[in-house]
Amino acid sequence: MPIGLRISDITRGYNSSPVIDNCSYTFQAGSVYAIMGPNGCGKSTLLRIFGLLESPSKGNLTYYSGNSELAQDMKLRRMITLLLPDIGLFNTTVLKNVEYGLKIRGYNKKRIHDAAQEAIELVGLTHKMNQNALLLSSGQKRRLGIARALVIKPSLLLLDEPTSAIDVENTEIVESAILRIKQERSSTIILSTHERAQADRLADRLLMVENKRLVEV
Amino acid sequence: MARLIVAIMIVACMTASAFGAERIRCASTTSTQNSGLFDYILPIFEKKTGIKVDVVAVGTGAAIEIGKRGDADLLFVHAKELELKGVEDGFFVNRHDVMYNDFVVIGPSNDPAKIRGIKTAVDAFKKIASSGSPFVSRGDKSGTHTKELDIWKAAAITPKGQAWYLEVGQGMAKTQRIANEKRGYALTDRGTWLATVDKDKLDMKIVLEGDHALFNQYGVMAVNPAKYKHVKFKEAMEFVNWIISKEGQEAIGAFKDKNGNRLFYPNAK
Amino acid sequence: MDYIATGFSHALKLILRLDPELLGIIFLSIKVSGAALAVSALIGIPAGAFLSLKKFPMRSAAVSLLNTFMGLPPVVVGLFLYLLLSRSGPLGFMSLLYTPYAMMIAQTVLALPIVVSLSYAAVSSVNPVIRMAARTLGANDYQTAVTIIKEARMGIMAAVIAAFGRVIAEVGAILIVGGNIAGLTRVMTTAIAMETDKGNFELALALGIILLSLSLLINAALHLVQKPKDARVEMEGD
Repeated sequence: MPIGLRISDITRGYNSSPVIDNCSYTFQAGSVYAIMGPNGCGKSTLLRIFGLLESPSKGNLTYYSGNSELAQDMKLRRMITLLLPDIGLFNTTVLKNVEYGLKIRGYNKKRIHDAAQEAIELVGLTHKMNQNALLLSSGQKRRLGIARALVIKPSLLLLDEPTSAIDVENTEIVESAILRIKQERSSTIILSTHERAQADRLADRLLMVENKRLVEV
Repeated sequence: MARLIVAIMIVACMTASAFGAERIRCASTTSTQNSGLFDYILPIFEKKTGIKVDVVAVGTGAAIEIGKRGDADLLFVHAKELELKGVEDGFFVNRHDVMYNDFVVIGPSNDPAKIRGIKTAVDAFKKIASSGSPFVSRGDKSGTHTKELDIWKAAAITPKGQAWYLEVGQGMAKTQRIANEKRGYALTDRGTWLATVDKDKLDMKIVLEGDHALFNQYGVMAVNPAKYKHVKFKEAMEFVNWIISKEGQEAIGAFKDKNGNRLFYPNAK
Repeated sequence: MDYIATGFSHALKLILRLDPELLGIIFLSIKVSGAALAVSALIGIPAGAFLSLKKFPMRSAAVSLLNTFMGLPPVVVGLFLYLLLSRSGPLGFMSLLYTPYAMMIAQTVLALPIVVSLSYAAVSSVNPVIRMAARTLGANDYQTAVTIIKEARMGIMAAVIAAFGRVIAEVGAILIVGGNIAGLTRVMTTAIAMETDKGNFELALALGIILLSLSLLINAALHLVQKPKDARVEMEGD
């Protein structure tokens, strides 16, 4: 079930030089949003705030499912995931990286196994399953990051520059995985990119960070 | 990680074993242990009584201190004055003379200070001091060191601080080796000397022996159970009584080191 | 040179003869150092991780203190423990002096700061993105900590190996609290010290060679414990 997110007057940073200043917006459940803007404009900060890795200095975030507001607890955190630009793969096999999110949720072995296989197949890494994740090419690493995020079936999927610095072939695989989620409408997706064409291919709505504020294009 | 912990646990489990049997602890000196005497007499005692004697071998000063702190059941040492003081202060009881060996003065084979021919240790020490040849001292409060200091005192010489006087703070064998390297004189016990002169290729000779002042009396005593309730007094006394008995005394007399030298002379009364 | 050659042949003969006294000494060495290592690892790894993962006042002071303790002189540890465990000391009633347990305690005191300090360094050097990744995937604080510690496993293994190196080679502390009692508290290092004292250089050297080989074997084994999972790193690089 996708969830929605309303942000109101969010500021992050010190008064003199905030990174994000007074942003307000409502993300509808089940839609795909692309946030654009040059490097260092604050896209990553926004995504980390949405992903509950950072708190805003000022302002509120409200997550909701249907009409009801969700408490910001562990349960909510487990409905949200964020693919970081550096991914942060663990020094273990591809399979164990994908299984991670399932294991910590205490799922049973069969469920973990089936879901992991499926997610790995989706990004085309089945033949690398038992290899150490840190040995993959950068494109494969990004695909693994996507699989690791998708396998937990997030209600809000945050993707920070999911295809930066990878080749066309790998970009296509990543994009098709995102499009598949979009088609299922199983998750709200907010991704950041600096490529207008990609934003057009993937997103329902385009946003820009301009002068530290979030504006619709 | 899990495997690491398992591996560690396995090692840890290996440690869980019991230490049983009737055992008493004897504080003694390194020189006594290194002579091999205990390896010879303790099995005889153990076979007879079923009591296992654990020997903690340290310097004489430390051995007496260990006894005074109640960390041993009996003492087998050679520093008569300190022993008697311990008895007087109520730490030890039933002290008996057991055996003696003798000290000898050793020096470089060419005897630069011309000690050979001198009859008493006091005169020899005086001559060493005046010659300026190095003298290597244990400097560790051991029985040998105590004996050496007594002789200096009798000779009215204060060696400490003199350029020729080297306090090394080491065991007997090491002290001998240092004396050999420094071409100096030293006071040693005959047991250690005989056991090591060939093995350590010492270019040294005995320059003085046989002076009564060089006799090294060993004593045995139990730690006072009135002072420390936990000590195994009964078993300790079994050892004391055995070592001063005819059988124990004969065992000491029969002991020879691996070069066939007799090192100790039983003299229990 | 003579001594070294004969030392090697002597060592070989000793091992081949499977002398029960020697085996007992070797076994006790492993037992004492192994137990000290086990306790140090079980306490030290979580403690090092805690130091690294939790922010609290005086943390850097605690780390400096630990680094100092890494260099504790064994003789001082031995003397301190002797006075503590002695019949006349505060813990005398436990009858631990001159037992293998006293030796294990001494070696734990020596090993623990090394394990804590190097585990701290290992955990601290894990890329911060790992912590964030764990959280984005839904890990709670505890699960995040476990994940970070797992990532630090190579460094932690190095910490354990360093601690093992210190205790297996240590003689000052265990000689004082163990007493080098034949058949009870005599281990490789105290036996070597004693044989050197006696002037039995060949035997001492032979024991030293055995100790070194043993150390090598155990180090190799400790590496193997961790290796399989990471072996692919070298085998399948593309």
